[in-house]
Amino acid sequence: MAVDIEIFGQLLPEQPRRRTMEIEKPETARFVAHAIGLNPDEIGLITINGVQSDLDDPVQPDSRLCFFPYITGG
Amino acid sequence: MKILRVNMKEAGVRWEPVSAEYEQIGGRALIAKLLLNEIPPDCDALGPHNKLIFAPGLLGGAVVPAAGRLSVGAKSPLTKGIKEANAGGTGGDNLGKMGIKAIIVEGQGAPKKFYSLVVGDESAELVPADDILKTGTYATADKLQEKYGADSTVICIGQAGEQLMSGAGISSTGTKDQRSNHAARGGLGAVMGSKGLKALIIRKPAGKIKFMDEKLFRAASKTFAQELIKSPKLGTKGSQHLYGTAAIVGAVNEMGSLPTKNFSEGQFEPSVELRGEKLRELVLAREGKMGARCMPGCVIACRNLFVDESGKPVVGSVQYETIALVGSNLGLGKLDEVAEINYMCNDFGLDTIETGAALGVALEAGLAEFGDFKAIIGLLKQVGEGTVLGKVLGCGAAATGRVLGVRRVPVTLGQAMPGYDPRTLKGNGVTYATSPQGADHTAGNAFGARKQVNPLGKEGQTELSFKLQIIAAMLDSTGMCIFARPPIIADPQLMLDMINGIYGWGWTLEDYDRLSRDLLRTELEFNRRAGITQKDYRIPEYMREEPLPPQNAVFDVPDSELDSIFDTL
Repeated sequence: MAVDIEIFGQLLPEQPRRRTMEIEKPETARFVAHAIGLNPDEIGLITINGVQSDLDDPVQPDSRLCFFPYITGG
Repeated sequence: MKILRVNMKEAGVRWEPVSAEYEQIGGRALIAKLLLNEIPPDCDALGPHNKLIFAPGLLGGAVVPAAGRLSVGAKSPLTKGIKEANAGGTGGDNLGKMGIKAIIVEGQGAPKKFYSLVVGDESAELVPADDILKTGTYATADKLQEKYGADSTVICIGQAGEQLMSGAGISSTGTKDQRSNHAARGGLGAVMGSKGLKALIIRKPAGKIKFMDEKLFRAASKTFAQELIKSPKLGTKGSQHLYGTAAIVGAVNEMGSLPTKNFSEGQFEPSVELRGEKLRELVLAREGKMGARCMPGCVIACRNLFVDESGKPVVGSVQYETIALVGSNLGLGKLDEVAEINYMCNDFGLDTIETGAALGVALEAGLAEFGDFKAIIGLLKQVGEGTVLGKVLGCGAAATGRVLGVRRVPVTLGQAMPGYDPRTLKGNGVTYATSPQGADHTAGNAFGARKQVNPLGKEGQTELSFKLQIIAAMLDSTGMCIFARPPIIADPQLMLDMINGIYGWGWTLEDYDRLSRDLLRTELEFNRRAGITQKDYRIPEYMREEPLPPQNAVFDVPDSELDSIFDTL
């Protein structure tokens, strides 16, 4: 089962914006971030299936996981 | 410091000293107090008893980075309550340097007789504006800067304001290519039109402000600028600088809060083409400009100059709210289309939020298909032409809904919602449903505010909005851009040192907090006396009953919580 991952903005600028990652059991967003080489300190917002989440929240196989840099609303 | 009072009935001007009551307040706070003291809150917003006020913030003239915004206020023809909208540009700092605390425009002259007000350090005069009538804001600014100097600030209305359309804003020139900075919200352009004031020209100031403790001010101002530069959100490596306000398009869409097709959905698949990342790619490939500034010395530099495929400038600057309201909300998925509508709105002098929402309602009524760019442009052109339909659209979403028989109208207090659907970002819903400013994200924007408050849940939203509304009130009284808030929230002493360095008031944090709360109390009291009840602030019924896909959320923060939000003010 794969997680659909998308990274935004200036995060990992040289890498593709969208990818999938196979996981066999629920993992944390932190685990996925680490696996793709993302520095947790640079992550400002995480969503799992569109829901604002934390680094240590579980990511189920078949989820959509997005990493955003620090952003702000006006 | 001084106040300039302009009587449009007599076409006369008068300088006044600043009374003790107004000495220690600026911007939005000063506007609130003046309006409550000087106008009947139940007056006709477009009648002779309303007053239009221009007021720099307390930091105006000190050239603090990102803190030269100009507040404009009056009773709103949209909300029927108090309204303050502030804009970047050069007006706030220039008025501050002249020692002008406020310009109060009052009375009303003969119908359709328009003037320009020309203000210098010690001079002010009204001159006929016949030669710039029925002219858009860009050409008006060009003509007036040719006459009064490229270093003057031109603040003006377009055709929408002249025709008293309640979706009209007020445009101000800024630095270089940032020609259009709008005090957009609440129909203040219509109030300016009702006064017979086409333009306000602020000539280049001769002097600078005097500091009571320049060392204290400089130290705080320097630290503040350094903190902005270091900020992961705002600094030169931050998303606000790299992608502008459009940096959040992807996130708002992902969270299901992006207004789509008249707020009927929270995600718009083609929004990938509307993201800040795409904006940056397009603009740089076409040799436009990213990292532009609306105010001199701003270190965030979130603006852009959007250019077309041939590199010709279209508009400075395409921003998030406009992308949301005239892009996804109208089913349009190309930044070129958004930029063209943006330019037209700016030129007619229209609030892009109000107009985007009005067009969304018109599309729901069947006047054109969502996504039909040409048809949408055709509708918008009618605003400038002043056709009956154009006047309806120019009067905003609520008026358009009433005329066209649409009940799904995204407004509170008569004013259109900005680019965050309240069903999936409930903190903003609380702000829309409680702020004396109506549906206005700048009054307390919960997007990305706190991880511990789930945007989809109803818990903790009123507490969050309450805190954000106090912070917004604090910033709006100083002329500071809301984006620049992180260093001040982290260390409020920086703001106090800057203010105390200028004025020598010896303010403490308690003083500052008290004045911010007093501002909100004043605005709420104005609205109460205007006859606005708590029910008038409510989120529309359909948003409380009809789930928004894909999160299938409704706005469900209980009325009892909304009604008691200011109990501890």
